[in-house]
Amino acid sequence: MTAAAGARVLDRGLAPERYARGWHCAGLADTFRDGRPHAIETFGAKLVVWQPAGADPDTFGVLDGYCRHMGGDLTQGQVKGDEVACPFHDWRWGADGRCKQIPYARRVPLRARTQRYETVVRNGQLLFWHDPEGSAADHDLLPPELPGVGTDAYTEWFWETVEIEGSHCRELIDNVVDMAHFYYVHFAFPTSFRNVFEGTRATQFMESKGRPDKAADAGGYSDVDMVLRSEATYYGPAYMINWLEVDYKGFVTEVILINCHLPTGPDSFTLQYGITVKKPEGLDDKTTQYIAKRYAEMFGSGFLQDVHIWQNKAPVQNPLLCEEDGPVYQLRRWYEQFYVDVADIAPDMVARFEFEVDTTKANEFWHEEVAENLRRREAEGVAG
Amino acid sequence: MASFVPTSEETLADQRLYTSDWLTSVSCQDCLAVVGVQKNSVHHTSIQWSAEALDACPEMGRPRELHAGCPRLRASIEQAVRAGDVPIGAGDGI
Repeated sequence: MTAAAGARVLDRGLAPERYARGWHCAGLADTFRDGRPHAIETFGAKLVVWQPAGADPDTFGVLDGYCRHMGGDLTQGQVKGDEVACPFHDWRWGADGRCKQIPYARRVPLRARTQRYETVVRNGQLLFWHDPEGSAADHDLLPPELPGVGTDAYTEWFWETVEIEGSHCRELIDNVVDMAHFYYVHFAFPTSFRNVFEGTRATQFMESKGRPDKAADAGGYSDVDMVLRSEATYYGPAYMINWLEVDYKGFVTEVILINCHLPTGPDSFTLQYGITVKKPEGLDDKTTQYIAKRYAEMFGSGFLQDVHIWQNKAPVQNPLLCEEDGPVYQLRRWYEQFYVDVADIAPDMVARFEFEVDTTKANEFWHEEVAENLRRREAEGVAG
Repeated sequence: MASFVPTSEETLADQRLYTSDWLTSVSCQDCLAVVGVQKNSVHHTSIQWSAEALDACPEMGRPRELHAGCPRLRASIEQAVRAGDVPIGAGDGI
């Protein structure tokens, strides 16, 4: 294809040849505590997750899902004692990745080891370490423990899973810097916006208000009576904690949103999000649960607004930016560190970078557009 | 191993344009830190640190929150902007 002179060409680039190094979330730990093997699709493979019978509640086994004997599907096997047993020939695999027993054999071959993943339970979720180079899990890179979460001070997690086909998970990461999409996709005015990247963390600080021309039917963050203060940090490539202070007509609620994902293929991933709400003083449990559920629905519909964009957009390696845009290139440079060998991490991928977006100009324009929408709606209302 | 591989030379040029070409060096007036600064507008500031600059800054050497910046560096940047040393607006180059 020949481009017209001066016409800009979208560089779709090539998808990465590997999956990111770092901590990934399998889901709520309770999901895996039923004494059965579970399947997790990720990294173009299937993993088996189970809880060894005699183990403490936070110990789990995560192995490649296929038996190294004849390839039986361990996720369809059984938990027998501490091990997961293959449905094909009953080979018993331990959480350390070693075959512990072959009931019909005199001894277990010394080489009977399979791919295992180290696990940690954090904030009620099961995390596991993935590294194409096979390094030991780096516990310094874990997301922090959330004080009070898991106690009576917070609601239980509302946890949702959405399969995304047709996008690389970097589309999700790009949101960290995308100030303007909050207006167009989520119908909120960002009133202040800041990014900081450093080491393996990338953070977004944002304050926003709902758009009055969208409130009735738009969903997402659009409620005009709502002021959001949001701090969201990626701890590595796939796990974000978002602390939200939601001020609804002066009633302030503290919400914690987990936004995490598992890459499943070169252009697909499983998005997971969880919501827990700090129980406001003086409210009964039923009301608190209701509030938490409402917020879960609200942020859930926000994600679905993104999903629709992702599933229809083209991948672009060379986005064209304007002066009001966030630091897309710097964020992607930060994200790249998880896709190269540790020895190849360039200094600028992990160097500290700070960015404060001027929302003044954009907001002047947006407020005018909203006012125009409201004027037109009123005129139509009068005419009708 | 490269990961997200651009398929054109222009993309690499864009990466340089957006990440480094617009940076102006600003020295902190209180320590030996030198950072890269970009201002797309009066109200916008980007600060590109290096490992050396972080080591040189006593403020950043303390235990701190990720988002906490250095107020003395910020003052130095504002001073440099007032002195006209940092261009404001990326022009059509952005």
